[in-house]
Amino acid sequence: MDDILNRLARCVEYGKTDKAASYPPDMKGQDGADELAKQALEQGIKPDEILEKSLVLAMAAVGDRFTRKEIYVPQMLMAARAMNAAMKHLKPYFQSGETKRKGKFIVGTVAGDLHDIGKNLVAMMVEGGGWEVIDLGTDVSTEKFLKAIDENPGAVVGLSALLTTTMENMKKTVAAIREKHGAMQILVGGAPVTMDYCKKIGADFYSPDPQGAVNYLRQFGA
Amino acid sequence: MGTERVFSIDFSQLDLTVRKIENMTGDQDGASSGILTDLIAEALDEASLMCSVKAEYRIFNGVTFNPAGKTVSIDSTSFDISKIVYSQIRKSTAIAIFLCTAGQEIGTASGAAMKEGDLLKGYLFDIIGSEIVEAAADLMQNSLHKEMNASGLGITNRYSPGYCGWNVAEQHKLFSLMPGNRCGIALNESALMSPIKSVSGFIGIGGNVRFNPYTCSFCDMKECIYRSRRIKPAAAK
Ligand code: B1M
Repeated sequence: MDDILNRLARCVEYGKTDKAASYPPDMKGQDGADELAKQALEQGIKPDEILEKSLVLAMAAVGDRFTRKEIYVPQMLMAARAMNAAMKHLKPYFQSGETKRKGKFIVGTVAGDLHDIGKNLVAMMVEGGGWEVIDLGTDVSTEKFLKAIDENPGAVVGLSALLTTTMENMKKTVAAIREKHGAMQILVGGAPVTMDYCKKIGADFYSPDPQGAVNYLRQFGA
Repeated sequence: MGTERVFSIDFSQLDLTVRKIENMTGDQDGASSGILTDLIAEALDEASLMCSVKAEYRIFNGVTFNPAGKTVSIDSTSFDISKIVYSQIRKSTAIAIFLCTAGQEIGTASGAAMKEGDLLKGYLFDIIGSEIVEAAADLMQNSLHKEMNASGLGITNRYSPGYCGWNVAEQHKLFSLMPGNRCGIALNESALMSPIKSVSGFIGIGGNVRFNPYTCSFCDMKECIYRSRRIKPAAAK
């Protein structure tokens, strides 16, 4: 069992999507994440074990290497592509409720701001960390955040902003969430955001990169 | 107000190469796998067919610097340009205000690719869009430089609201001095420009100003990708 899960993790970490994929060159012709996830299920390995003992570990390794600047965004995205190829086989189990995710993570770029790349990377890595992600997109109003929180009790919320002007809107949204939902966990990020600002506006955690958010989330959820 | 110039820039003039885009992804040594370089080449080809790149500048001759407040007045609009920008342009006798955009298409293509689940393609379009607008601004700046040189004047680097402590909200004032807005850029309440791949700013002009090739050291954004990727800021050749 460990062997196939290790091989699957390696495929995800290095972005080997399926057998036909020529990337990475040293894994050419070998089974990829697609085939190995399918084989793991056929071998009777439980979907949550595949997720926890292989995919989540692989994505955490990817996130850590990105934080250490050993790899860059494209390599991270190739890993995500391989992760998705494996997840395709696990999705039916999540949908039927047989396998549970760690929790729900609502994420969006705040009102007035259209930057989405950073937010998308965070969403992708949190999903890779075993969470269900509800991506509200960009230019998300406070009302839209509040509605999503109402619809998903117990979720954690993440806000992204890339301009100092839209950080003001982040502040307003955080205040409105606090007023309505008290102690719920709020994460913030984006190029001009800092830990000081996070504290000042009453959010719980700031991370300069996606993996920091994933690591912080480990203490919450199932 | 003095000269106004509008540029419609062809993609081929931008001189964007796979290597340049690769560099912006973080790969400075060109060690990317073949698949990535192929994807960049493909995305560049697609981008070349979709972009409507535009730039414009207007030269304002009546500028007054206020050393106490670190402000500059242009046509009776006062800009609070921050200490850093002030020190770089204070010797200017005129200021060119510029706008530049890669157009809406590349941002739309990036968003569409991401929505379809192809995050990598979406990301490459995003980087290409950023490089397009920077390269277009370089071309616009080079043209201004040539024009000023011919009259014995020099120019400074480009400085934009939002950088180096200059409040991004000052873009509202900047746009008010560009009523024609030939680039068709919209500014929202938060001072965000649409198309997203757009830039705005000032270039100082004068007999006693100079272009500084290394500006990253002035900026307080220590984690900026331009700094970590050792990209030289646009040089006025
Ligand atoms: C919930 O938890 C979390 C946790 C982590 C989270 C998170 C949420 N959200 C993000 N993260 C984190 O994880 C991600 C992955 O590591 C990261 O996400 P990012 O989105 O930061 O990172 C992306 C993956 C890659 N990064 C980027 O795509 C942005 C890179 C930088 C260099 C940048 C670029 C490339 C551009 N820009 Co400009 N730009 C800058 C940026 C400085 C920087 N960050 O290095 C920034 C954002 N820009 C700035 C400015 C001022 C501007 N830019 C402008 C223009 C441009 C370009 C067009 C040239 C280009 C593209 C912009 C675009 N939006 O597509 C202008 C605005 C454009 C507009 N449409 O309004 C303009 C206003 C300048 C002007 N007047 O022309 C600054 C904003 C600061 C401020 N004062 O508001 C800026 C921080 C640069 C700086 N040195 O100060 C982390 O922040």
